Amino acid sequence: MSDAIRHRLTPLEKSERRLGFAMLAPAFLLLAAVVLYPIAELIRNSFHFNHLAQPWMGTPFVGFENYVKALGDDRFHEAVWHTLLYILVTVPGAVVIGLGLALLANQPFRVKWPVRLGLLLPWALPLVFAGLIFRWFFEYNQGIANAMLRGLGFEPLNWLTSPGLAFFAICLAIIWKSSSFVALVLLAGLQTIPKSFYEAAEVDGATKWQQFREITLPMLRPAIFVALIFRTITAIQTFDIPYAMTNGGPGNSTETLAMYIHKTTIDFLDLGYGSALAVLMFLVSAVITSLYLRHTRRDPGRH
Amino acid sequence: MTSRFTRRMATRLGLAAGLALAGAAYAQAQTTLRIFTGGQQRPDVMRQIVDGYMKANPNVKVEVEVGGATSEQQQQYLNTVLASKDSALDLILIDVIRPAQWAAAQWAEPLDAYLGAEKDAIMARYLPAYRAANIVNGKVIALPYFADAQFLYYRKDLLEKHGLQPPKTWDELKDAARKIMTAEGNANLRGFETAGAPIEGTVCTYLVPLWGSGEEMLKDGKLNLATAAAKKPFELWADLKAANVTPPNLAEIPTDRIRQNMQAGNLIFGMTWGYVWNRLQNDADSTVKGKIGVVPLPGFTADKQATCIGGWQVAVSAFSKNKAEAAKLARYLSSPEVAKQQAILASHLPVFPGVYTDAEVLKANPWFEQALPVVQSARARPVTPRYTEVSEIMRTNMNAFLAGTKTADQALGDMTNRLGAIFR
Repeated sequence: MSDAIRHRLTPLEKSERRLGFAMLAPAFLLLAAVVLYPIAELIRNSFHFNHLAQPWMGTPFVGFENYVKALGDDRFHEAVWHTLLYILVTVPGAVVIGLGLALLANQPFRVKWPVRLGLLLPWALPLVFAGLIFRWFFEYNQGIANAMLRGLGFEPLNWLTSPGLAFFAICLAIIWKSSSFVALVLLAGLQTIPKSFYEAAEVDGATKWQQFREITLPMLRPAIFVALIFRTITAIQTFDIPYAMTNGGPGNSTETLAMYIHKTTIDFLDLGYGSALAVLMFLVSAVITSLYLRHTRRDPGRH
Repeated sequence: MTSRFTRRMATRLGLAAGLALAGAAYAQAQTTLRIFTGGQQRPDVMRQIVDGYMKANPNVKVEVEVGGATSEQQQQYLNTVLASKDSALDLILIDVIRPAQWAAAQWAEPLDAYLGAEKDAIMARYLPAYRAANIVNGKVIALPYFADAQFLYYRKDLLEKHGLQPPKTWDELKDAARKIMTAEGNANLRGFETAGAPIEGTVCTYLVPLWGSGEEMLKDGKLNLATAAAKKPFELWADLKAANVTPPNLAEIPTDRIRQNMQAGNLIFGMTWGYVWNRLQNDADSTVKGKIGVVPLPGFTADKQATCIGGWQVAVSAFSKNKAEAAKLARYLSSPEVAKQQAILASHLPVFPGVYTDAEVLKANPWFEQALPVVQSARARPVTPRYTEVSEIMRTNMNAFLAGTKTADQALGDMTNRLGAIFR
């Protein structure tokens, strides 16, 4: 097929084609330098021993040794498990809260900017700041959470030093931080729904709840999917907020995969093993993303 | 047209060349050195010291860069700078636990050549522990800046009020703390704190009681944690926790929080480092000026006291472009004059035995009189190029135990397994 096409190209078309490739080349080269080369280097590293604290060992090729080590590494298993828990809690959490925020922001307020600003601010705040702010909230002595508990006559809780509570506190911070992004995506989706649908429903005597279930939700499906995909991909990479709030503690009980990779590579200087872990994370995120994409493709009638 | 263009080009080139030449001449006259220090190692005092150096050496400009508050945060940043062979830093203040790693990674310029024939004489002046820590495989990796060890800080006023002597054993400490806490009836007053957060200082929270029960973590380079003594640290901290002497959030407490709590008047006993004295005595917001005493740490028995050695060293970066000038500054920073200056301005313990008995130093820090034997008997954390991993294993397990998420057996078991893979 492609041979046939190439055969039929006129000289002019051929030169147009060359020009096209030439014009794409700079972008491709840039992309290659900042994306493809690092990924190739990462994969190459993952098959080598490369530990900067032991330079006398050199960087010998070790085959799948780093991967085998990861499969038997309890801490890697725990980090994967924690990351999955964060995904399972914070992705639906952010979508539900984000939907509420989007519906609120879509109300016909006379002055729109305070609502929009309120939506944008958490999103614009750097992640690590959000983490620090929530750490202060949940600190044992000075934190506002324990101040409220004391005020109500309860015993203060060890929010950041007991695993269950720390997980809860971190999830809360992540949902607060990420639901505004979801809300922005959904708000854009809401605004594409024609008003006439609701007017027609109103005429037919549909309640607000029926309008929401029969018009808003189905019309919003594509936007919800986009939000879900983006939120899931960032959830797989969860790093900043638990890093700032607990640094993975108590023990390693809130450590995510991205944090373990950071620790292995930057703190321990074990570039070989860290690269193998990063490749594994890349695979996990590729699998989850492709599952989503397949699901969206299976759902053609909704556009 | 062309000629005007070339002429303009020529003028521009001439200007650029002139600027470059002027720049080169300027660079010759003026060397800029950049020194990295941690936020907790009193950068303000470092600035005063280098100001003096710049006055005496007008051709040198020294910039002080301040990094993370805790040792491992600093190292995290330095790992990225040095692994990429960045020449931005000329001198770096490093923790006493790091020279072995820095030597292995070839990040520190060995200073032997810069010390020349005087090398042995210079190194002989330091306290033996610091001489040993900074010479790795016969090469001088860094020069000691100040010494440190953990001491027991206590509220002199409260102990006197309740007729108590500074404790010599952990049991005495527990009883004294409980007595004072009950009698004072102040809900904010805590008995005892040591580092419990997953930070470098928490390694000592494990090691001090281990040493105190007469055992070593390593024997002939092999892990030695299958002993009864290996459990002692867990038992000690569990005991103090059960007696409500340590606060419920001990697992949240980093080194400097102990100082803050003491400074606010909320802590009776603190196991912490030398710098704290100066802050408690001189900070504007200190509520405990003149109410603090410092003694050696307690032991399980009064005759077996142990402490962790600390302290900071000046290393010259292997990637510096001004190594000779940097080495000169390093020698200055590691001199008895600077040690005295630091002792007075920051209660930093000197690395020279003679400075401890200096009259002005003793006036600022009366407790230095008893400090010298403590520093001399203080012990070193394990020396290995993979120290960052060793430290991380010890502090996270200790932290998990203090938080109550791991039992002593689990924490010790996990520690032994993971450390065993390093000390094979």
